[in-house]
Order: sequence, then structure tokens, then C-alpha cells
Amino acid sequence: MISIKNLQASIEDKEILKGIDLEVKAGEVHAIMGPNGSGKSTLASVLAGREDYAVTGGSVTFNNEDLLELSPEERAQKGIFLAFQYPVEIPGVSTTNFLKTALNQVREARGEKALDAVNFLKMMKEKMKLVDIDQALLSRSLNEGFSGGEKKRNEIFQMAMLEPTLSILDETDSGLDIDALKIVADGVNKLKTEKTATIVVTHYQRLLDYIVPDYVHVLYKGRIVKSGDKSLALELEEKGYDWIKEEVAAV
Amino acid sequence: MIMESTILENLKATFQGNQVQKEAFKMLSEVGLPHKKSEAYKFTPITSLLEKNVSFEMSGESAVDATKLYKEEGSHLVFINGELSKEQSRISDKLNVETGEVTEGKHDPFSLLNTAYAKEEIRLTSGYDAPVFIYHFNTNGISNPRIKVKVENGHTFRIIEKLITPTNTHTFTNSYIEFSVGQNAFGYHTKVQNYNAETFSHETVVASVSRDSHFYNNTFSFEGAVVRNNLTINLEGENCEGHMYGLFLLDKKSHVDNNTSVDHMKPNSYSNELYKGILDEKSTGVFNGKIYVRQDAQKTNAFQSNNNILLSEDATLHTKPQLEIWADDVKCSHGCTSGQLDEDAIFYLRARGINEKNAKAMILNAFALETMEHVKVESVRNEIQSLIDKKLT
Repeated sequence: MISIKNLQASIEDKEILKGIDLEVKAGEVHAIMGPNGSGKSTLASVLAGREDYAVTGGSVTFNNEDLLELSPEERAQKGIFLAFQYPVEIPGVSTTNFLKTALNQVREARGEKALDAVNFLKMMKEKMKLVDIDQALLSRSLNEGFSGGEKKRNEIFQMAMLEPTLSILDETDSGLDIDALKIVADGVNKLKTEKTATIVVTHYQRLLDYIVPDYVHVLYKGRIVKSGDKSLALELEEKGYDWIKEEVAAV
Repeated sequence: MIMESTILENLKATFQGNQVQKEAFKMLSEVGLPHKKSEAYKFTPITSLLEKNVSFEMSGESAVDATKLYKEEGSHLVFINGELSKEQSRISDKLNVETGEVTEGKHDPFSLLNTAYAKEEIRLTSGYDAPVFIYHFNTNGISNPRIKVKVENGHTFRIIEKLITPTNTHTFTNSYIEFSVGQNAFGYHTKVQNYNAETFSHETVVASVSRDSHFYNNTFSFEGAVVRNNLTINLEGENCEGHMYGLFLLDKKSHVDNNTSVDHMKPNSYSNELYKGILDEKSTGVFNGKIYVRQDAQKTNAFQSNNNILLSEDATLHTKPQLEIWADDVKCSHGCTSGQLDEDAIFYLRARGINEKNAKAMILNAFALETMEHVKVESVRNEIQSLIDKKLT
């Protein structure tokens, strides 16, 4: 589905990603772990098309298309979804209104008919259950004054509405208590199909108890330095990141 | 220094008026129009701009474009070059309208200019529930429309005002409207300023509010060569409220200056002010908000905020809060912000599949909309909304 080859990216001339290789197929869940500042969030942002980062080398193909040529909205329309680490508060724009506009633009790009108000509401009601989110919250300004947990649930709710093929969860677990974490993970699991894939970016192993990855990659200093299955995450939890750093230093 | 302005020199020849007007004329001759160093007009050198651009003749007859009138129930008052045209107006029998001689007004230079040169004074009295729409058609030169509105005790009165000017000649409209709001009454005043690059205006709004009463002013500015709004609310009684909402959404070389002030004179009064600016291209926006709390006015609550978004590097913004507080038990806050569009917010919307243009429009629209809260007449709301949409897309 997505094929990342030797991806390099920098911000304000500071090189953050120094050659990432990653291949994700439909039906798979990949976890990207690593210490703070290793480039995890940069990778997520670059894939979503954030323009603050300059891609200085390498390639990314998404369903056989050059992803790096596409604008952020085109990526979203083609099925990429980034759940933000820090969802942005937008005063005066209600989640409902915003999502209706977004969904219909995505549907239009996919050659589908726009949803009318009735069907949109029906769909919303259905997806709201997935993440246990309240209607009242959705009629308020987008993320404004939401608690951390509410913001993250709103991200997964948006994901449910937009039905992406590749979801990238950027530190979706950080700042969540165990109950909120379970709700969020549960939502993600319910949305998983044979045709979709998920990249979970996280600092902590905890989330991976609930969203079980097929592969775990360790990102350090802008490179993937180790890959393995879910047991690698447990090892990291137990031993921390220092042994990875030492291994890298030894090379 | 006296009579330094060529405007006054030119006008002098045509002066004729009653005693009040003679006095206003004399006072104006003494103080003159604001010059380059006048603090209150620091960012809007209106006098010199007028001298350069506008012909100083009093306006004559003109035709009225009836399509500019709102399709709403209520009374529609059409002023042509400062005079009420009964033929062009549609006035309900229930609305009390009087045409009379000019009476006393405020004493700042442009108010004095209006007092001296107004051709008549129109007086409206509440007692009629439907809104009153006032249209000023100014076809050339200077016009000085002058209106006094009385909101009787316990009444609610809504006034919507707009000015329509031609594009083929420079015009200057120096309007003056005075509200006197009785006890336990509500006065609403909304202005839509969608002019053109040839329009110069100086618009004075002054409201005196008695106890237990509310006054609302909503001013929406979209285009004009130079537009200066002088809004003064005097909260003269206890437990009264003054609300000031404004939006200036400008592009091209439009210049809009909102000079507002609220004076808390008695205890337990409340004022709230919210002005928002969106400035594109080479436009200029000015906001000056003065809150005055007198020594007697304990337990005053006064809030002010002015938020601005600059969309272009060539746009200019001046914003200045001024607080003068003489009472010691008051709650007062003010704040102003100005910046560019929030890139993070735009990216967030784009990452959900909304294109860049729509994402920007969505954010700006939401930003602007907050100022519309107290505009209740549907076709006026619709007009403002469509002007916002037009500017943002």
C-alpha cells in the first residue's frame, strides 16, 4: 500500500529523517517506536503533507502513486488519515459542519455523491458509538476547550467518518488515562479491515497491548535501526531505549 | 490656524442656517477640521484626503436605485443627499417621523460640520415594532444627513442604516445619528458599509442610554476610500448596557477607522465590545476603543477585544485600547491580537480533505461570524453573510 524508500526530510535546514525505509501492506499494523526527538512525529507529518518540512531525498509511493507530489488535501482524499498528536482548536467551526464539508469533499474526489443532511446525520450517529462520543461535543467549536481524551476520541471519530485506507496515529495514546486509551484503541480495532493499514507512532508500549502490531520498528536519530514483531515492543518496555542507543553507537 | 482647511473656506460662501447652526459654524471655524497632528485622526488624515479628492459642493438631486432597498417588512426611509425623500420612502403610518430644524448636537469638528450644514433634522420615535431601514443616497459632493432617534421607555427599536454612493465621482458623506434610549428600553443599530473606492465618509453615532436599558451597535465594513466611524455610547443610568460589535473585512486600498468610546457614568453598568478585522491587499484598518469609568460608576463591568488577521504584507493595522478608570470597584478587561492566518489550523483542515481555499474561508468565516450575533433582521444577516462569503472566496 505504502512504500517508503530512503526518505530524508529536514526542517529549517536541520536534517531530521536521514533515510527511512518502510513497506506497509493492506491488512497490516505497524508500530513505530523510539525515544523523544528521534523523528517519529516528523515521519507522520511528512506523510500527511505538512509543508514545514522539506523532503530532501527518497521517495514515497502510495497505491502506486507518488505521494510526495500530492497536496495534503489530495492525500486525505486518496485515503491517508493522520490522527494528530495535538489536534488543533478551531474557534467558531463546529465539528459537525467541518466534517460534513470534509466528508463531501473527500467523497467528491472519490467520485461519490455528496451526502445529504439526513444520511450524514445517520452516518454520524453510527460512528459516534464507535468512540463513545457525545453529540453535544460535536456541535461545539472544533476541539475548543475539549479535554485531552475528548480531542483524541474526536480524531478517531473523524477517522471513522472519512474511512481512510491508511491511518497514521501520531502519539494518540499520550496523555490518555487507561479508560480513554481503551476506547480509542477499541475504535481503531473496529475500523480495521483487510483492505486498510495502520501506522501507530508511539513512545509507549502500553497502547500496543490494545492495538496489536504485526511489526514494530524502532526509529532513532532519523533512521529505523531495528525491526521486529510485537515482542520487540515488550523488550523496549522492559529495557528502555538505552540498549538500542548503545547498539547504534557500537556500529 | 483658524479656518486653515480649504474645505471650510469653500463651504463658507454657501453657509445659511438657524441660530444653532450659526453657533456650530462659529465653533467649527474656531477649532477647524482635524489636521495632521490631531491625535484622534493620527492614522486617518481625513481632512487632507478630502481636500485632495472631493469637490466641496453641496450635493444636488439624484436618482435612487430601488433595488438597494431590503425586501423586508418595516419602514424604509430614503435620504437623497442628506434630505428625506418622502416620495421614495415607504413609511408606515405607525412610525412617528418628524422633519424639523437642526437642533444641538455633539461638539467635535465633524459633528459641528454636520450641525452647521445639515439641510434638515429627521426625528424618529419608537412605538412601532418593525425595523426601520435608512438608506442614504449620496450622488456627488458633500452631504450631511442628520437623524435623531428616540427610544421611549420600555420600547424596542431597530434601525438599520446604509449608504449608497456612485462609482463615477468622489463623494463625502458626513452623517450624524443620535440615539436617546429611555428607561428599560432596547435600541439596536446596524450599519452595513459596502462602499467603493470613491466613497469618503465620516459617520458619527452617539447614544445616550438611561437606566435598565441596552444599546447595541453593529458596524460591518467591507469597502471604502476612507471610512471613519465615531461611535460614542454614554451609559448615563444605573444597570444599563452598551454593546459594540464590528467587523472590518477589507481589501484593495480600503481604509476604515473605528473610533469607539463608552462612558460609564453610574454604578452597575456593563459594556462589551468586540471588533474583528481581516485585512488583505493594501487595506488599512484602525481600531481605537476607549472605556471611561467615572468615579460614581462602581461595579462596572467593561470588556473589550479587538482581534485581527492580516492576509497580506501590504496591509496595515493600528489598534489602540484606552482605559480611563476613576472608580475602584470595577471589572475591566481589554485585549487585542493581530497575526496571520493560523497555518496549523489550515493544515488540520487540509489533512481532512478540505482544499486550501475552502480551509482558509472556513476559518475566516468563523472568525468573522462572531460579530454577527446581534443582527436579527434576516435579510440584513443574509446580506452581511453574502458579503463575507464574496470577500473570502
